[in-house]
Amino acid sequence: MSMRAVSRVELLQGTLDLLILRTLLLGRTHGHAIAKHIQRTSGDLLQVETGSLYPALHRLEARGWIAAEWELSEKGKRAKYYLLTTKGRKQLQAEQTKWETFSRAMGLVLNPLNQEEV
Amino acid sequence: MNRILRKLGWMAQRSRKEAELREELQFHLQEEAEQAEAAGLPAEQAKWAARRELGNVALLMEDTRATWGWTCLERLWQDLRYAARMLRKNPGFACAAVLSLALGIGANTAIFSLLNGVVFRPLPVADPQQLVQFTNTIPLWETGSSIARDLYAYPQLERFQAQSKTLSGIFGWTGLGRINVGSHGTSGIAQGNASSDNLFSVLGIRPQYGRFFSAGEDRAGASVAVISDRYWRNRFGADPSIIGGAITLNRVPFTVIGITPPEFSGIAVGSSPDIWVPLHALDLLKPDSKRWTDPLSSAWMQIAGRRRPAISRGLAQAELDVIHRQFLAQQLPISQFSGLETVQRFVYEGRLVLRPAASGMSSGLRDSYEFPLRLLMCVTGIVLLVACANIANLLLARASRRRREIAVRLALGAGRGRLARQFLTESMVLALIGGAVAVPMAWWGSLALVRMISTGGAPLPLAVDPDWRIFAFTGAVSLLTGILFGLAPAVRSTRADPGPVMQEGTRGGGRSSHLLDRTLVVAQVALSVVLVTGAGLFLRTLQKLWTVNVGYDRENVLMLSVDAKLAGYPSDRAGSVYREILRRLQVLPGVKSASASIVRPVDDEFNLLDKVNEIDGRSLPESDVIHVAWNATSPGYFSTVSTPVVSGRDFEPRDNETAPQVAIVSESLAKSAFPNQNPLGHRLGLATIVGVVKDSLYSGARDQPGPLLYYPLFQHGRDQEYGWGFVSFELRYSSLSNLPDEARREVASVDPNLPVFRTKTLVAQTEESLMEERLLATVSSFFGVLALVLACVGLYGLMAYAVARRTAEIGIRLALGARRDHVMWLVLRQTLWLTLAGIAAGVPLALGAAWYARSVLFGVSTADPLTIAVTVAILLSVAALAGYLPARRALRVDPMTALRYE
Repeated sequence: MSMRAVSRVELLQGTLDLLILRTLLLGRTHGHAIAKHIQRTSGDLLQVETGSLYPALHRLEARGWIAAEWELSEKGKRAKYYLLTTKGRKQLQAEQTKWETFSRAMGLVLNPLNQEEV
Repeated sequence: MNRILRKLGWMAQRSRKEAELREELQFHLQEEAEQAEAAGLPAEQAKWAARRELGNVALLMEDTRATWGWTCLERLWQDLRYAARMLRKNPGFACAAVLSLALGIGANTAIFSLLNGVVFRPLPVADPQQLVQFTNTIPLWETGSSIARDLYAYPQLERFQAQSKTLSGIFGWTGLGRINVGSHGTSGIAQGNASSDNLFSVLGIRPQYGRFFSAGEDRAGASVAVISDRYWRNRFGADPSIIGGAITLNRVPFTVIGITPPEFSGIAVGSSPDIWVPLHALDLLKPDSKRWTDPLSSAWMQIAGRRRPAISRGLAQAELDVIHRQFLAQQLPISQFSGLETVQRFVYEGRLVLRPAASGMSSGLRDSYEFPLRLLMCVTGIVLLVACANIANLLLARASRRRREIAVRLALGAGRGRLARQFLTESMVLALIGGAVAVPMAWWGSLALVRMISTGGAPLPLAVDPDWRIFAFTGAVSLLTGILFGLAPAVRSTRADPGPVMQEGTRGGGRSSHLLDRTLVVAQVALSVVLVTGAGLFLRTLQKLWTVNVGYDRENVLMLSVDAKLAGYPSDRAGSVYREILRRLQVLPGVKSASASIVRPVDDEFNLLDKVNEIDGRSLPESDVIHVAWNATSPGYFSTVSTPVVSGRDFEPRDNETAPQVAIVSESLAKSAFPNQNPLGHRLGLATIVGVVKDSLYSGARDQPGPLLYYPLFQHGRDQEYGWGFVSFELRYSSLSNLPDEARREVASVDPNLPVFRTKTLVAQTEESLMEERLLATVSSFFGVLALVLACVGLYGLMAYAVARRTAEIGIRLALGARRDHVMWLVLRQTLWLTLAGIAAGVPLALGAAWYARSVLFGVSTADPLTIAVTVAILLSVAALAGYLPARRALRVDPMTALRYE
C-alpha cells in the first residue's frame, strides 16, 4: 500500500514527551488529535504508536506537566482533553533548548564540512 | 481506621481511572475508524484498521497503569493475595510455621519486655534524659580498681544545691523501709521514702489530687506526706477526701497533702514507695543527732538532679566533681579521719560521676536482673534462630517440590526478581502473623515471669505492658526473621534454569541445594548444643547452690519479723516486748524450739558489718583490724537453726542487760583473731568470748565463710538495734500446718498494733535468694527443650525428604538383595553425621557462651565435662529418634512400587 511506502523514522527515547508538549502549546486537544498532529506536521515521517502515546500522556499528567479534562468533542462525544500547565510550559522550554543543542551538536559531528563552508 | 479509609479511596479512584482509560481508548478507536472511513474504507474494514492501529490493548493498558504509580502497591497486593492463597492451601505448614515463629518471637518479646521494664523504660516524667544520678567512685588500694557507690551526706547535698550552675535542680532522698501507717484506728505497713522538698518539681510531675511539697517545706518539724496512687487506692479506697486528713506514721501524726499520678511509681525500678515525706520528717521517725551535720562518716542519702537543657553530662560532671572534691578537701583535715592515710587516699582519688538516670535511679532489682535478662535474651535469640532455620528448611523443601511450577513461570517470562519477591512476601506474611500472635503470648509470658521473680507476696512493681519500644522490637524482630528464613528459599528456588528442570521429571534437586539444607540442620543442632549446655550449666549451678553447707539447717524452720518501734515502743521498752513474744512462741504446739535474732539466715535486708580493733584491751593497728559481720541472738538461736556450738556455750537468759558483756565468735573469727589459741575467755572490745560456733553463710550459698561475731540480743539490743532495726523470730517446728497464723496471733496477743512481716520458711527464703539462678535455669531449660524439639523436627524433615527422594534407589537396593540393616544404617548414618557436625560446631560455641555467663555460674566450670557429655548424649538420642522414623519408612519401601513410581 502506498501509505506504508514512506520510510518512517523511529522515535528517539524521550522525544515523544517533547512532541506532545509542543503539540499542546497550540491548544487543548485529545489523544487521537495529538497523534495525528504529530504525524501530519512531521510530513508523515513520525508515526506515533498508540501503545506509547497513552502511557506517555498519563505519565506527563502524573508529573503535572499537562492536565486533563473531560469535554465534548466537536462531534458531541465525551473525550479526554489535555492541556499544557505552567509547569509543562517551562518544561517544554527546557526540553526544547536541550533538544536544539543536541541536534546542532549531532549536525556538527555528522557534517563537519558544512561547518567549514559556513 | 484512617488507613483503611485511604485504601478504600484508592481502590475507588483506581477503578474510576480504569474506566476513564477504557473510555479514552474507545474514543481513540472511534476517531480512528471515522477518519479511515472518511478516507474511503468500508465501515467494517475501517473498524478493524483502527483496532490494528491501536495494537495490543492489554499491554497498552498495563503500560499506562504503570504510570499511575500504584504498580508497587498493586503488586504487593497481588503478592499478599498469592501468599494468603498458598498458606490456605497448606494449613498444616502455615500453622506449624506460625506457631514456631510465634513461640520464637514471643519468647524474645517476653524477655525484652522484662529487660525493657528493668533497664530501658524511661521514668514517666518530663524530659527524663536530662536526669542524672550522683555516684562516686572509691579506689580500692588493694587491687587498684575502684567501686562505685551512690551515698552522700546531707551537707554535701546542701553544697551541691548552693554551688551547681549546670544543674537546674538537685534533690536528695533516702528509703525509710517499713513504716507503720495508722488511719482511723487501723494500722498497716507501708514502704516509705523521704526526699528533699523539690523532688517532684525537679522531676516535673503534677499531683493527681492536692499538692506536692512546696519550696522550704523540708524543715525541722515537717509533718506532711504524699501518698502514691497505688497505696491511695489499696488502703484508702481512692477517696480524695483523704487530702488534708490526718494519718500517723510510726504513731507520729502527719497530714496528707497530695496523691501522685497513677503512672508514677517511684524513681527507681522495682521500688515503689507508698508514702513520701520531706527529709526532715526523719527527725520524727528515726531521730539521729548527727544526720544533718556530719559531713563524712554518715553518708545516707542518694542525690540526683536535672541538667540544664544545653549542658552536656560531661560538663555538669566536671563542675560537680570539683565541688565534691573541694568539699572533701575542706572537711577531711578537720574530721576524725584526718590522720588515716587510707581515708585520705579514697577521698582524694575518688571521683564524682554522673550516671544517666532517664530510666530511673540505681536499683537493686536492675543490678540483680540486668545480666541474667541479657543472658536470657541471648537464649531466646538462639531459639528464634533455630525456629528460622526450621522454617527455612520447610520452605526450601516446599520450593523443591514446586521446581517445575517455578521453571514454567520463568520460561513463560516471569522476572526472577518478581518471583523472588513473591516468595519473600510469603515469608513476610508468615513472620508478621507470627509476630502478631506473639504479642499477647509475650505479654502473658512476661507477666508470668514477673510473678515468678516476685518475692514477698506482692508482684514486683515492674511495668511490662507493651509500649512503643516493645512493639518496635517485635516488629523489627518479625521483619528480620521473615527476611532471614525467606531469603534463602527465595533466592535459591528462582535460580533454577528452566530447561534442565523441565527435562529432569519428577526427581528434583542438584547438589548445591543439599548443602544449604544440611548447613541449616547442622546450624540447628549446633545452636541446640549451646542452649542445652547453657541450661545444663544453670541447672548444675542451682543444684550446687542448694547443696552447699551453709552452716544451718534449712528444713522445718519458720521465720517472722516484728518491729516494736513501728508500734511506738521506745527502745528501752522494746526488749521486754520481744522477750514476751519469744516466750509465747516457744510454747506454741508444734514448735520444738524458738529464738530471736537481728539478722536471720539468708537475710535479704541486713548484713551488719563491724570492725574488731581491740583484743584483750590491746588496740590493733589499722592494718590488722578485722572486718566482721555481726548478729545479735537470743538464747537457743544456734540450736534452733542447727548451727553447732564447737566449744564453750550458747547465750543464756543470765546474759542480760545487767550482766557482764559476752560474745560468741565463729570459727573463722576465732582463727583470725586468736590463731592457735583457745578464744574462750578472751575479750573482743568489752565483751568476753563465751563460745565458738561453726561458720554460717548468712548471705546465702554464694557467700564465703568469713568472721562472724554474735552478741546476746537482750543484752546488746537496747542500745543498738531496737532503735532502728527489728527482730526476727525463728521457729523450728515439727509440723507447719497453720503455724504462721498461730504465731501471728501470739504476737497480736502481746499487742495488736505490732506489725508482723516477712513470715516465711527458711526454705522459701532460700528459694527467693536463688531467684535469679532459678529464673535462668527454668527459662533456659524450657527453651533448651524447645530448641531440641525444633532441631529434632528439622532433622526429621530433612531425613524424611531425603528418603522420599531416594525411594527408587532404596527400592533397587532392596530388590538387589541389600540387607535391611544396611539400608537402615544408610539413613541413620547420614543423620548421625549431620548431628556430629552440629555437635562439633556447637561445643566451642557453647564453651564461649558459658565463658560469657561465667559470673552467674557456681561450683561448676564453664567447660563442665558432665554437662557437655550429657548434652552430646541428649542430642545423639534426639538425632537417632529423628532418623529412625524415616529409616523405618525406607525399609518399608516395596521395590516394585518404588520402580513403578519412577
